[in-house]
Amino acid sequence: MSRTYVFARSAPSAEYDRSLAWAALLLAATGLVMVYSSSIATAEASRYTGNNAAWFLARHGLFLGVALLAAITVFLVPARLWQHAAPALFLGGVALLVLVLIPGFGREVNGARRWLELPLFSVQPSELMKLAAVLYAADYTTRKHGVLKKFRRGLLPILAVMLLVSWLLLREPDFGAFVVIAVTAFGILFLGGMNGRHFAALLGMLAAGFALLVVVSPYRMQRIFGFMHPWSDPFGRGYQLSHALIAFGRGEWLGVGLGASVEKLHYLPEAHTDFLLAVIAEELGFAGVALVIGLFIWIVARAFAIGRQAALHQRHFASLAAQGIGIWIGFQALINMGVNMGLLPTKGLTLPLMSYGGSGLLANFVALAILLRIDWENRQLARGLHA
Amino acid sequence: MNAATQGLVRLPVWRARFVLAALLAAFWVLGVRSLYLQALQTDFLQEKGDARYSRLIEVPATRGRILDRNGEALAVSTPVKSVWAIPADAELSGAERRKLASLLALERNELGKKLADTSRDFVYLKRQVSPDIAESVEALGLKGIYQHREYRRYYPGGEVTAHVIGFTGVDDDGQEGIELAHQASLGGKPGSRRVIKDRLGRIVEDVESIREAQDGRDLTLSIDSKIQNLAFGALKTAVAQHHAKAGAIIALDVRTGEVLALANVPSYNPNNRAHLSGAQLRNRVITDLFEPGSTLKPFTLALAIERGKLTPATLVQTAPGHLTIADYTIHDTHPGGTLSAAQVLQKSSNVGMAKIALSMPREALWDLFRRVGFGTAPQLGFPGEATGKLRHYRSWRPIEQATMAYGMGISVSLVQLAHAYTVFARDGELVPLSLVKTGTAASGVKLLSTETARAMRAMLELAVQPGGTGPRARIMGWRVAGKTGTAHKQENGGYAPDKFVASFVGFAPASAPRVVVAVMVDEPSAGEHYGGIVAAPVFAQVTQGALRMMGVPHDAPLEPLETPAEGEEAKENT
Repeated sequence: MSRTYVFARSAPSAEYDRSLAWAALLLAATGLVMVYSSSIATAEASRYTGNNAAWFLARHGLFLGVALLAAITVFLVPARLWQHAAPALFLGGVALLVLVLIPGFGREVNGARRWLELPLFSVQPSELMKLAAVLYAADYTTRKHGVLKKFRRGLLPILAVMLLVSWLLLREPDFGAFVVIAVTAFGILFLGGMNGRHFAALLGMLAAGFALLVVVSPYRMQRIFGFMHPWSDPFGRGYQLSHALIAFGRGEWLGVGLGASVEKLHYLPEAHTDFLLAVIAEELGFAGVALVIGLFIWIVARAFAIGRQAALHQRHFASLAAQGIGIWIGFQALINMGVNMGLLPTKGLTLPLMSYGGSGLLANFVALAILLRIDWENRQLARGLHA
Repeated sequence: MNAATQGLVRLPVWRARFVLAALLAAFWVLGVRSLYLQALQTDFLQEKGDARYSRLIEVPATRGRILDRNGEALAVSTPVKSVWAIPADAELSGAERRKLASLLALERNELGKKLADTSRDFVYLKRQVSPDIAESVEALGLKGIYQHREYRRYYPGGEVTAHVIGFTGVDDDGQEGIELAHQASLGGKPGSRRVIKDRLGRIVEDVESIREAQDGRDLTLSIDSKIQNLAFGALKTAVAQHHAKAGAIIALDVRTGEVLALANVPSYNPNNRAHLSGAQLRNRVITDLFEPGSTLKPFTLALAIERGKLTPATLVQTAPGHLTIADYTIHDTHPGGTLSAAQVLQKSSNVGMAKIALSMPREALWDLFRRVGFGTAPQLGFPGEATGKLRHYRSWRPIEQATMAYGMGISVSLVQLAHAYTVFARDGELVPLSLVKTGTAASGVKLLSTETARAMRAMLELAVQPGGTGPRARIMGWRVAGKTGTAHKQENGGYAPDKFVASFVGFAPASAPRVVVAVMVDEPSAGEHYGGIVAAPVFAQVTQGALRMMGVPHDAPLEPLETPAEGEEAKENT
């Protein structure tokens, strides 16, 4: 038991995983500072914010407060309740995804319908759906464990549900959320004992679809892979990425200093959301980027460790949910950072726990609270107490 | 729990390890990529960044002042503000718009139009706004309205010195006059700094100074403001009084060759050039050519004396008042019979002067004209200097040699004429001219003997005595010498019967000349058109003032001058 629990550096007497909580809070705090730094110029110049330089800071701070309160509340909820609620939550998520597509409910921004307008704030259903999808996939895998390896009874139902969700997400369109949800859900199925051949077949179909795309419409390929040559059209399609790369190059080892980024001065679009890491890279240098990567690694590693621990206690749902949360946060962070560094095509994904955006922040913090709860329950069990 | 109800199941451990390893490997790749971008590719990326937002900006040099010979400012640069806007940011209420428009003296719809184009990041609302107005605009605290500092040229002399000084354009570059001629030294060298600009063009960081700005040097002109004022005023009055089209005047310091005054009418206010016409802009002294007429006669006479052809006392037969050469007849307005050479000049007899000219080879006449500066640019270093027209002697016909002797068939500028007269004023030396203060006596080129020059001075003094053509040129307290000119204007290839150029060129004091003053009045049309009546009084006024201001000792008794009796004043033909 102690061999698989190597990551637990907290004192044996600790009631919860302090390092995980601190890692998340450190990321969120850094995120708050960097959201402010990267959004000052944009906010000051924008009529939408009333030229208030602290507009994004104030809102992000408020989101963070709400998310923390939600996290504390969620921490008090036993993990098994999430399993019971998972199908309902999932259905609720699907309903929101449908609602956002209905004109009059969903707000269209830049040709995408991703926001539900509420009186005081907006909600991004796809962000909440990520959490619901993790819980549902974990629940499904646990529930269907006996028949999971069978195609019709095991794979087909979840495949159908996922196709529906994918279709809804692509209608918005929100390609980034689709990728994250698909990868997380099938990651959980894979970890939960999904038929290896089925998994291989799914991967094969994905590869085939890709190959088909290359043959059928090479221009689309070019658009997807344009990111590999940002300097061939630096003022057109490569504009955003080339500025992100310049931000990295300017940052060097220790950065140009907090607040001193030039790229955030209207050059780099979406500096406080999708391209927050570029501003971090410019102002805090490689040191800042390495810290962010390190903290994400820590969170992912802790999630998997907690998942393994739960598995040892035969808490399959908790185990899969924990690892699913790890995949989700980790994968989304990877994609976002990969995009910032020019390794992946730009797809509109925020950096978890850090980027500006209330729905994302709330979903991330609730997920982490569930993770901490699972760990807390593990510790209770380890002491021979009832979870 | 579910696990309990479903019995003991095992999640495949290797899959979890595999997924975790894959994620960690991917994070590792990101770390390496970040290291590559931030440690190895930095030069390339920073170069790309600099190309986008690092800019060299010009640091303007302060333009040098233009001063008169006594250090009085004729052109100074005063700091002003230019008000500009980012239209998209400028959300002004109706009242704010009204206030701004009235402060900037703009029509409201004009302001509205400038602020309407929100696609532009920069729009000038008004350039060169005075500091107090700029302050009031600043005090309004309007969003999206900005100012930056510029220099505006101010000319304290206004229309009086307009033609000498010229002016600068909105970008502070000389466009006319001395401002243009001395652009290089006045303008200095702008410096440059490397700055970083945000995408809206605002400077966010001052990186380094590439080159310090070199301010322009002050320029001290030879012009004396007081004489200039006097000359302009006298000329303006005369032009108005005689309903003339235009006028020009120049005063030279005989010892130094410096231009003490240079003025033209009509003039303009260089501080407000909203409605300028070409006529106002013309610096007639330097750029306009005219047939000088009788003012050229002294040169013909001087050549004859220099060559020993005659003395001032030699008699010349001018009866019967006309002379026919080939098929052209030369007339005198008042036939004079037998006159001495001095009287030929005093009465300004064309017939007598033609005879004197024809007694000499045409080459000699051409050579003198050329050497006193006719037909070549006066080298003042002024833009647009006219060279004038002096045809080569080989193409002269006898009649042309005769008429050229009294200033027809040749064209000169007023500055050339005044310059040429320094030969008489300086004992036969032609002094080089300068618009820039030298303050030291200049040496010239000897063209005539001292004796000839002195004889000419005596004869030119006679020309302004009662019985000469220019008695109105006389002044109290100093002896004056000079020559009147009244020339028909050329029009459509012939001579207009009723359009004249009246002129007077002279110097004083006659005993030891200090100033040469030349006056030209174009198309006087209030009844009088003779140089002796229209131009000579201007000469007198300006010369008297100049001598007084220069502190030149008197060489004549301070007695009131008697006005010449009717008929005692000779009137010339050309």
